[in-house]
Amino acid sequence: MTSKDEQQKTISGIDVMRGVGIDRAKDFWADAWDRVYRRPGAFCALVWIGIIGFFAIFSPLIANGLPIWLVQQNADGTTTASSPLWQNLTATDLMLLLGGFIGIPWILIPMKIGRGHRLGMLITLGILSGLIIVLASAVSGYFGDSGASRWAREIEQTAWFVPVSTSVICIICGAGFLFIPFVDRILPRTVLVVVTCLLTGLAVGSRWNEPLINYEKYQEMAADGDARAWYTLVPWSPNESRTDLYVVPPGLTVKEKLDEMSEKPFGDRQFIMGTDGIGRDVLSQMMHACRLSISIGLISTGIAVLIGVTLGALMGYFGGIVDLLLYRLVEIFMAIPVLFLLIVAAAVLPRNTYVMMIIIGCVAWTGAARFTRAEFLKLRSQDFVQSARAVGLPLRSILFKHMLPNGVTPVLVDSSFAIASAILFEATLSFLGLGPEGQASWGKLLSSATGVTGTFVWWLAIFPGLAIFLTVLAYNLLGEAFRDAIDPKLRKAAH
Amino acid sequence: MFSYIARRLVLMIPTLIGITFVVFMLLALSPGGIGASLRVSGGQMEASKAAQLEAYLEDRYGLNDPVVYQYAKWLGRICPVKFGTRDQVTPSGELIRPPKSLVTPWMKESLYPDLENPEARKNEPIDTGSLDTDEKKARAYRTAARDYAKARADYIVATKELKHAYARYAKATGIEGAVDDDGNPRESRIPGVTIDAAAPSWKPVQAAAYKVLETYEIAEVARDRLSTIFGIKPFDEVGVPVLPGLVSLASPDLGTAFSRGRPVSDLIADALPVTLLLNLVTIPIIYLIAIPSGMLAAARQGTLFDVLSGATYVAMWSIPRVWAGVLLIGYLANNQYLGWFPVSGLHDSDAASFAFLPTWTDGEFHRGYMLDTLWHICLPVACFVYSGFAVLSKQTRAAMLDNFNADYVRTARAKGVRNIDVVFKHVFRNSLLPLITMFVTIFPFLLAGSVVIEKIFSIPGMGSLVLEAINLRDRELLLANTIIIAVINLLALLLADILYALADPRVTYD
Repeated sequence: MTSKDEQQKTISGIDVMRGVGIDRAKDFWADAWDRVYRRPGAFCALVWIGIIGFFAIFSPLIANGLPIWLVQQNADGTTTASSPLWQNLTATDLMLLLGGFIGIPWILIPMKIGRGHRLGMLITLGILSGLIIVLASAVSGYFGDSGASRWAREIEQTAWFVPVSTSVICIICGAGFLFIPFVDRILPRTVLVVVTCLLTGLAVGSRWNEPLINYEKYQEMAADGDARAWYTLVPWSPNESRTDLYVVPPGLTVKEKLDEMSEKPFGDRQFIMGTDGIGRDVLSQMMHACRLSISIGLISTGIAVLIGVTLGALMGYFGGIVDLLLYRLVEIFMAIPVLFLLIVAAAVLPRNTYVMMIIIGCVAWTGAARFTRAEFLKLRSQDFVQSARAVGLPLRSILFKHMLPNGVTPVLVDSSFAIASAILFEATLSFLGLGPEGQASWGKLLSSATGVTGTFVWWLAIFPGLAIFLTVLAYNLLGEAFRDAIDPKLRKAAH
Repeated sequence: MFSYIARRLVLMIPTLIGITFVVFMLLALSPGGIGASLRVSGGQMEASKAAQLEAYLEDRYGLNDPVVYQYAKWLGRICPVKFGTRDQVTPSGELIRPPKSLVTPWMKESLYPDLENPEARKNEPIDTGSLDTDEKKARAYRTAARDYAKARADYIVATKELKHAYARYAKATGIEGAVDDDGNPRESRIPGVTIDAAAPSWKPVQAAAYKVLETYEIAEVARDRLSTIFGIKPFDEVGVPVLPGLVSLASPDLGTAFSRGRPVSDLIADALPVTLLLNLVTIPIIYLIAIPSGMLAAARQGTLFDVLSGATYVAMWSIPRVWAGVLLIGYLANNQYLGWFPVSGLHDSDAASFAFLPTWTDGEFHRGYMLDTLWHICLPVACFVYSGFAVLSKQTRAAMLDNFNADYVRTARAKGVRNIDVVFKHVFRNSLLPLITMFVTIFPFLLAGSVVIEKIFSIPGMGSLVLEAINLRDRELLLANTIIIAVINLLALLLADILYALADPRVTYD
C-alpha cells in the first residue's frame, strides 16, 4: 500500500489514536537546526568549522615530515619497505584517525537511530578514549620523569609495566563508562565500551614512549639514493626546524633559498606559506594547530558548562543560603577579568594542553552558572517539578532529568560564544608565551610576526591571524543563528 | 544613597577576601609555592642576595608554614587594619617592623642533638638611656639593623651549607630517597636516620652544623639588640591608632619586588596611571562612536545599513586583539611599510624636555608633550576601541528596538509627534539605561585587554608589569597586581551601579 492510498482512505478515530496519518511535529532541536541551516552566514560558519575539524583529525596524514612509505635498499640487494609516518603516529593521532574514519560515516549515513543519539554515542566513546589517553600520558609522565623516585623508575623498566598499567587504566575507565546510559540496552553498550577500551589500549600500549624523530635521516637517505621515499601532501612536520631555511617567504622552494640543494630531490619542496624564524613550515603548523584550537574550545567549554550547570542548578533549585553562598563564588570569579585570571594561572601552572583546558574551564564557568540559576529559579515552582518532588524522586533525578532539559537551552546557545572566547583565550595566552609547550599554535605563530629584531613578517601575521579570526567568527555567527532560532520573542516578531 | 554606597563598599570586603584567597592559593599551591622566585633564580643569584630574599620571604610568609598560615600572614600585611605593635616608617619612607623570631637551627634534634654551641651568647645589654635624641636612636637602629641583616644572611648561608653537606653525606652513605630532585635533603626522611659518624663525609656535616649553631647565636643576639632598639621607637609610627596598642589603621603594605629592587607600591604607582589613561581615553571614544551608529541602525531597522552594520559588529567583535595589534604595528608603525606611528612606548625618548602644549618656534613645529603622548597612544587606543564599540553598538540597537515597540512610542506617534522627536526625546532617553550597565561588561574587558595591548605596543602599564612579574617569577608583584586590578574592577562596577541609580529615578536603593 503506497502512501497515496493511505491518504485517500478514511481514517477512523481509532486510527488517529494509533497515530496513523499524523505528521509528527519536528522536535525542538531539529527545528532549531533547520532554522540555523537556512542562514547563509551560519551555513558558511558550519563549513569553516568542518574544515578546521577535518584538519584537526587528518593533519598528521596531510602534513608530515616523515615519509609515508619508504623502500630501503639493503646491502645484499634486497629491499625493505616500511612506513615511518605510521610508526611515529601518537596514540591520540591514531584514535582521532580511527574516530574520523568510522565516526564521520556513522554520523552522515542515514539510519534508523536518531542523529543526535548517534552523535551522543560517538562523543561518549570519544571521551572514554580521550580519558584513557590522558591518564596514560599522566602515568607515563610520572614514571618516566627523570626526577622520579628510584622505585618508580625500577617499575618502569620492567617488561610488564606498559601492558599492566594500560589495562588497569582501560578497565577502570571502561567500568565507569558502563554505568553511563548512552545506549539503552546493556549488551550493545558493553560491547561498544569494551571495543573502545581495547582499541585505545592497543594504541596507547604500542606508542607508550614518545619517539625521538630524526627527519633529516630520511631526507639524506633519499638524497644518497639508498632509499626511495614517498611523502605526504605537505612534506613538513610542525616541529621540524631547519635553521638554514628561516623566514622563507611563501611560495618559495628550498632550492631557491639554498643553491646547494638544487641537485637533491629535497630541493623542489615548496613552502606554500613560508617558514617562521627558526625554519619551520608555516602551513604545516597551521594545520596541526587546528587540533589545539578546536579541542581547547570544545573541552574547556565542556568543563565550564559542567561546573556552571551543576552549581547553577544547585543555586536555582535550593535558593536561600545555598544560593547566597554559591553566588558569592560566582561574584568572586566575576570580579577579576577572566583573561587576567587566566594569565596568572597559566603563568604559574605547568604548560601543557590538558592543564590549559582545565584552567580555561575552571575560570570561565560563571556565565553558564548564571544562566542555569535564572532558569531553575523560574522552573522550580512549576507543577511538574512540584509533582516530581511530591512523588519522592531523588534530587539527582529532579535536577538533571526533569528540570535540566527544560532549562538548558540558554546555556547551550551561550556555549557557542563560550567556545569562541575559549579559542581567543588560547590564542592570546599562546601569543603571550604562556601556551602549551611543544605544540603548534596559531597564537604562537602570530607572536613571531614581530620579532625581536623589529622586522615585521607579514605571512606570520596574516595566515594565523586570519585562521583565529575566521574560527572565532564562525562560532559567533553560529551562536547568533542559534539564539535567533530559539528565541521565541524574536520569532514572533518575524511573523 | 550614601548608605547604599557604604553597604556596597562593605559587601566588597568578602568578595575581595575571596579573590585574594583564590589567587593566593593558586600561587601558593602551584609548583614552587609562594617562594618560587627563590627556587628558580637561586642558582643565578649571588648567595648574599638570595639569603636576603629568603629572609624577606621567611618574614613575610613563613616559608615552611602551611599555606593557610601563609595566606593569613599575607592578608594581615595587605589589610589596612593592623593589630598589635605598630610599624614604624623612616623619613625616607621605608617601612620598619619589629623583627620576627628566627627559625631554629635546621634539624638539630635529629642530626646533631649533642653538639653544643661554641661561644656563649655575648649579649651586652644596650644602654637605651644614652640614646636620647631621635638622631642617635635612628643611627643606633640602622647599625643594629645592618648587623642583624648580615648575621641573618650568614645564618641562612650556613644552613644551606649544612643541607648540602648532609645531601652529600646521604648520597655517599646511600640513604634511600633522602635527597629530592633538586638535590636538597628531604626533611621528612631525616628523623630516625641512623648516623654513621665514622663516615668520612660526616665530618663536613658536623663542621657545617657547628657553623650553623654559631651563626644562629650571633643572629639571635643581633635580633635581641634590634628588638630592644625598635622598642624605644627610633622612628615615627605608621598609621592611626584606633585602640592604642591593639588596633590601628595603616595603608596596605604590598611588599617589595625583589626582581626590581623596589617596593611594589612604587611600581604600581608608576604603571597604574598609564593603564588608566588608556582606558579613560578609550571609553568616551567607544561611547561616542557606538551610540550614534547603534541609533541609526535601530531607526532604520531592516535596511541595508542595519544588516551591514550588524554583520560588521559581529566581525569586529571576532577580530582577535592580538591580531589587530600586530597588523596595526606591522603596517602602520613599522618602517618597512608606512611608519606613520611610533613603534613602542608612551613618549619619545626626549619627551621630558618638551613643552606641554604644541609650540611654533623658529618656523618649526614642535608637537609638545601632550600631542606626543596622543600620537603614541593612537594605535593602542584604536585597538581598544574597535571591539568595545562593536559590543556597545549592538547593545544600543537592541535597547532602542525594545523601546520602539513600547506602548508609549505608539502613543507618541499617534499623537503626531515628529519622528525625530520620537527617536531622540522618547526612545533614546529610555535606551540610555542599559548603556550605562554595559560599562560593567566593557571595563573588565578593556582592563584585561591591556595586558595584550601593552605587550604589543611596549607600553609600561599594569599589563606589562604583570608580564614582567611572570617572566621574573616574582610572585609578590603578581599577587599585588592582581589585587589592584580586582579592586579597580570592583570600584568601576560600583560606579556603574551608582550612575544607574542617578540616571533612573525608578531605581531606589534605600
